[in-house]
Amino acid sequence: MWETILFLLPPFTVCLLLAGLLSYFGNHILSREVIFVDIAVAQVASLGTMIGIMMGMTEGTLGSYLFSLAFTVIIVSIFAVSKFKNKELSQEVTIGIIYCMALAIAMLLVDSVTGGSNFIQKTFSGAILWVTWTDVLITALIFAPLFVIHMFFQKSFIRISDGDVDGYKESTIKLYNLIFYITFGIAVVQSVKIGGIFVVFMYLIGPAAMALFITDVWKLRFFMSWLMGFIGSVLGISVSYNYNLPNGPTIVCMLGVMLFITSLATRKREVATNE
Amino acid sequence: MEALVFMLPPFAACLTLIGIHGYFGIHVLKRGIIFIDIAMAQIAALGVTVAFLFNINHTGHQTYFFSLIFVVLAAYLFSTLKCKRPRICIEAIIGISYAVASTAAVILIDQAAGAPEHIKEMLIGSILWVQWPAIVKSVIVYALIGLVHYFFRDKFIALSENFDAVKKSGLNVRLWDFLFYLTLGIVVMHSVRIGGILIVFAFLIIPSSISALFSSSWKNRIIFGWVSGAIVSILGLILSWKYDVPSGPAVVLFLGLFLIGAVLIKRFSYR
Repeated sequence: MWETILFLLPPFTVCLLLAGLLSYFGNHILSREVIFVDIAVAQVASLGTMIGIMMGMTEGTLGSYLFSLAFTVIIVSIFAVSKFKNKELSQEVTIGIIYCMALAIAMLLVDSVTGGSNFIQKTFSGAILWVTWTDVLITALIFAPLFVIHMFFQKSFIRISDGDVDGYKESTIKLYNLIFYITFGIAVVQSVKIGGIFVVFMYLIGPAAMALFITDVWKLRFFMSWLMGFIGSVLGISVSYNYNLPNGPTIVCMLGVMLFITSLATRKREVATNE
Repeated sequence: MEALVFMLPPFAACLTLIGIHGYFGIHVLKRGIIFIDIAMAQIAALGVTVAFLFNINHTGHQTYFFSLIFVVLAAYLFSTLKCKRPRICIEAIIGISYAVASTAAVILIDQAAGAPEHIKEMLIGSILWVQWPAIVKSVIVYALIGLVHYFFRDKFIALSENFDAVKKSGLNVRLWDFLFYLTLGIVVMHSVRIGGILIVFAFLIIPSSISALFSSSWKNRIIFGWVSGAIVSILGLILSWKYDVPSGPAVVLFLGLFLIGAVLIKRFSYR
């Protein structure tokens, strides 16, 4: 029994970190209404790693990580500073197209890269159960400065996410967006390495959506989403461990179930207060 | 010469797909529900995976039925969800449905052997190996749906252009919304079996994005989508044939290049 808990301790800890930072970003993402940004970023990061492998960098090395990060940051920056005049070609469309192209190019390359199909599968399923204390430490070290930056710019970020942009120059907004999306990109690249695309996506949207069902107050949203995210992770990992299911997908489904329950529970409350 | 004959089915398949997706894509862009088709495609794919796991024949009627059930449920879900902040909520619901459907499929695929290959196939399909029966079946289904949308085009188009105005006019929006998602879902379901999720997604958003840059009339945009789609399919299939790469992604690559070209043309035509 103790052995199991000891074995699961690194995964639980890394989920605490992932749930924390990602659900924080998720609250912003929901308010900005760019829900699918992280799937696009994750796919771009994954494509970056593939190209790196093609150029001879072994996966898992510092070189590969930096290459993928640089690739991601460039694409993210283009997205952050671009603006389309056409009403239909919103940011969401840009995100969709970036995701689409990144996936297409990755699929074109998949057969030219050794172990390509396995790599694709790993990006989908993640590898949370196999995380080591070193991985946890590295994640914490990467997340810490991001957290500090966001604490520093918190007020401005919240205002821009809420759409309250009066009093800000256009260039200032672009700068804040750049910082936001670059820190976001770094967080996503690291998280996808550990958890895979869908776990990261779910951590971003699920807990924040649950929090939004319950309250509008930002500080409460941050806290609630972290809590829900962590509970979902622990339950998900335990279930996947006991029933021998892939752990990433199980966490996602667990959070999905929790979200469903939350939405039902809060709907009843809404109806009650309206009567 | 033989290559041309071999390429005819995939080319026909691409044309068919772009034909119907170019139209639906305009709806998708106007409604601002970009990722709904990828969610629906994944849900349909999940239906196929469930059927596959029950060892039902891979291309039999039962898999069709299974996918259809999933799609109907999804259409119902998307059309009836209402919450405090409608737009955020529906995108979040779509995203979460997508994530849950994808991971459920991965869990199921994991139970059988050869998981990575199945995942790859789910994503990019197998346009190069498509046969005429499958194409004919799709053409018939798409034509029927096209007719439905043509007959009721006032309602469908109005609903996508201006939801609130239509609601005030007393139209039963929930019903027509459900019909919209249902017809979209059926189309997506057929397309996914031929082309995989990536193609379905790309064909929905990229042609209509390109046409949005140059026109706002529905008719023009549909025609534009068809023409550019045909060109892109030829180029993509040639590329995939010559360099032995998957055909779906190759066509999508050219769609992307077309889009970049279109954006540049638009930028420079202002100067």
